[in-house]
Amino acid sequence: MRTTARKLAVMAAVLPLGLALAACGGGGGSTASGEGGGGDGDNTLTVWAWDPAFNIYALQEAEKVYQQENPDFELDIQEVPWEDVQTRLTTLAQSQETGELPDIFLMQNNAFQKNVLNYPDLFSDLSGSDVDFSEFPESVVAYSTVDGTNYGVPFDNGTAITALRTDVLEQAGYTVDDFTDITWDEFITLGEDVLAKTGQPLLSGQAGSADLPVMMLQSAGASLFDEEGNPTIVDNDALTAAIDTYQRLVETGVLVEVNTWDEYINTLVNDSVAATVNGVWILGSIQSAEDQAGKWAITNVPSLDGVQGATNYTANGGSSWAISSNADVELAQDFLAKTFAGSSELYDTILPGAGALANWIPASESDVYGEPQEFFGGDAIYSKVVGYAEKVPSNNTGAYYYEGRDAVSVAITNIMNGADPKAALEEAQSTVEFAMGS
Amino acid sequence: MQSVAGYVFLTLAAVASVFPLYFMVVSATNSSNEVLASKLLPGTHLLENFRTLVGAQPLGVALWYSALIAVGTTILALAVTSVAGYGFEVFHTKAKDRFMGFLLLGIMIPFAATMIPLFRMFGDLGLVNSWIAVVLPAISTPFLVMLFRQASRSFPHEIIEAARIDGLKELQIFLRIYVPTMRPTFAAAAVITFMAAWNNFLWPKVILVNNDVQTLPMLLTNIQAGYVTDYGMLMLAVLIASLPAMLVFLALQKSFAQGITGAIK
Amino acid sequence: MAAPLPPRPKVSPLERRKSLTGWAFLLPASLLILWLSFWPMIQAAILSLQTGRGTRLSFAEPLWSNYTRLLEDETFKLTLQNTFIYLVIQVPLMLVMALILANLLNNPNLRFKSMWRTAIFLPSAVGLVSYALVFRTMFANDGLVNDMLMGLGLIDSPVNWLGQTGTARFVLVLGLLWRWTGYNMIFYLAALQTVDRSTIEAAKIDGASSAKAFWYVTVPQLKPMILLTAILSTNGTLQLFDESYALTAGGPANTSMTISHYLYMVSFRNSPNFGYASAISYVILIIVAALAVVQLKVGDKRD
Repeated sequence: MRTTARKLAVMAAVLPLGLALAACGGGGGSTASGEGGGGDGDNTLTVWAWDPAFNIYALQEAEKVYQQENPDFELDIQEVPWEDVQTRLTTLAQSQETGELPDIFLMQNNAFQKNVLNYPDLFSDLSGSDVDFSEFPESVVAYSTVDGTNYGVPFDNGTAITALRTDVLEQAGYTVDDFTDITWDEFITLGEDVLAKTGQPLLSGQAGSADLPVMMLQSAGASLFDEEGNPTIVDNDALTAAIDTYQRLVETGVLVEVNTWDEYINTLVNDSVAATVNGVWILGSIQSAEDQAGKWAITNVPSLDGVQGATNYTANGGSSWAISSNADVELAQDFLAKTFAGSSELYDTILPGAGALANWIPASESDVYGEPQEFFGGDAIYSKVVGYAEKVPSNNTGAYYYEGRDAVSVAITNIMNGADPKAALEEAQSTVEFAMGS
Repeated sequence: MQSVAGYVFLTLAAVASVFPLYFMVVSATNSSNEVLASKLLPGTHLLENFRTLVGAQPLGVALWYSALIAVGTTILALAVTSVAGYGFEVFHTKAKDRFMGFLLLGIMIPFAATMIPLFRMFGDLGLVNSWIAVVLPAISTPFLVMLFRQASRSFPHEIIEAARIDGLKELQIFLRIYVPTMRPTFAAAAVITFMAAWNNFLWPKVILVNNDVQTLPMLLTNIQAGYVTDYGMLMLAVLIASLPAMLVFLALQKSFAQGITGAIK
Repeated sequence: MAAPLPPRPKVSPLERRKSLTGWAFLLPASLLILWLSFWPMIQAAILSLQTGRGTRLSFAEPLWSNYTRLLEDETFKLTLQNTFIYLVIQVPLMLVMALILANLLNNPNLRFKSMWRTAIFLPSAVGLVSYALVFRTMFANDGLVNDMLMGLGLIDSPVNWLGQTGTARFVLVLGLLWRWTGYNMIFYLAALQTVDRSTIEAAKIDGASSAKAFWYVTVPQLKPMILLTAILSTNGTLQLFDESYALTAGGPANTSMTISHYLYMVSFRNSPNFGYASAISYVILIIVAALAVVQLKVGDKRD
């Protein structure tokens, strides 16, 4: 015992000294030197992305594709959850340490404009690149375009779909066709019938989340902001209709509200609901329930009733690649142009490998997209979704998108608890206006 | 009569405390969909979860850096704060009392407020992405200084005087006489610091920008970041991440209680 | 440095040297605290007088406008109110429970003492991500808690725990109690070792019940420790971030969100407004400091 105490004492005396030295030396043995971007012709690109089964897998395949022509090329992929990407970008920009940025980072489409507008010095624009933006759907490119300049190469397709359990529909006497090209009113009528006949609600959703109403909003080509970035939460017919629709979905029991994302996924994989409306990426979670193979089908989403410009197409989520201001810009641009904006081979690999659906329109001409999917009853769902993607109306995000979305979430929660919709939306509008003031 | 009520209350408290931990352990042996359905019995997926976890995440790296950071923080924190606590009490003056009161204000500083300036400071030092940048801000906490200071109150000043007459230097007195007798206080401080360092959440995520250096809480958020989460594997990771802090407490719990006692005598 | 110190006749050279040695002992810890807590906080103070988004910051006109802006911020007021609700309910409840548990564990005739102690303390070793996940799963609509309550016939239909203001706050408080009661219990248990048993025996001989002896004899002797834990818990609750962020995500409609969580939103989720965020952090600091002063005034009479 005594020797331990003595050792402890010696360490107590020596360690602060060692620490001071380490701090002055600026290393400490663990700092990988020169990571981050700025690689000058070393043929390595550092990338931040967050999903090993999805976007990271896609990156690894892109690396292989690019290596065919550039054998020395390497990607250094760092797994960083999206929220941490945002926190790090903010911290780096705010403390002006942009030298720590990677060459490329993945960014949620909804957050793109906010970051470009607030922190232009985080980004390199893509105007000098070989990326042909006309080969991507306009609505998707719009997320990463600020003042006519492109800052992002679209990756993850957020096109919305309705996924349905054909076995449950069959019990109620319906098929997928009954749910195709319909309106939300029709959907609710069908949903009530399915509920009455099978006891199963069609939809589930996170209470307090604005996901579904915002998808409805975009389906009619409307937004929470106008093109100048001013909030348009009041006197917004599409938003009013979307919230009203959502309310009726809940009141009729066609949609059950749950509280967390985990619960929402649980309702899908453990047979609680017969359908879901979300971005196409939700299929990844659905397919994790192997016992449900062959029982799912997909179609387009319902449209809003009585709203001008209503369509059956919308989107939720999705992400784009950005090149940082600290990047080996030439290499990064060339890499993106020849892979995510130019390689059918890449998309042919990552579609079956990870369900990663292209935004790059030429990719959908490949046979791989037309292959029947056993899990979805032998339907060629991927070419179907790519077809939807082209029809998705644009929406404006701007720098205050999250404030707008959160304020609308609060309004919806209050409306569901009995508040007057008009007053609640006026409050949401003033919350956003307050946040935008200084 | 009263003791029956006491046992009932203790049993309730203990069950409520341990049950979520039981759920955590059981879930580590179940498949993702079983976890979501709150299955309460042990399953057969432990090995499979482990293989998925090791295959998908750099578990070894995260364990190593979590341990390095937690142990490093603990050792340095004990060294620095025990010296200070001793100094405050043994060389007690009014001025030092006031200074101590001033330092205590540091407990009240919300970390989120100092994060950006801190990041800039570490950037200037070239310490971004170094485990040292995680350790440094956690070393000297006013709370630990206070703990050691309070504990030093029970330390007999006559011994110090005697040692001075014997010709021992002040640092020698501290190392040879104070440190060995205050072992329980060191244990208490070690448990508190280790647990806090092991579970540190926000700062490592910000300052460690390269995945070569990762901690377990970071790895846990990685697992939940994708479109599809494997909850069985996540729960196993959660279990692995929770065990070391628990073990440290179990190993030191006797001295821990004694050490805190010393501090409030 | 160069200015000569004024002579202080009453201090002997030996005393002076001792005092200097004392300051040397304080140096490493103090420097670290000043450098890594106080200095950034001063920078935050300057920041709190600036406005603008992202990196385009400039001094506000008038300088204190971020602070006056707080008065009109409904979300800030709501989160401040939420935080105080947690403070007023959770801190006293937790400390009383910890005190009772510690007293039970201190009974010399109690069996399996270390088993109880370990079981009740263990939750505080569990990290945020882990425990938020476990709690969220347990309090899901079709989660364990609802299953159990329905099994016992206490409720007819599942309670939407995280979906209603009252119950969401309740779950959050429950989570805090779960994680921190054992931690505080250990502190009380330690303090109880210093309580003179004979004083309790004497009170009992004088006819006091156990409860009375506990309240009138034991508790007063624990006052310094109760004060310490009260200050630490108050501070912890006012800076509460983890539970609000990971357990309830602030919902529903921000009614369970804490100030620190709002601070995080303003800094990292919304269009970043660091001047305003710094002003919010100063309000937290001022409230914590004020409450600590009050608690010290009420509780401590040493020196």
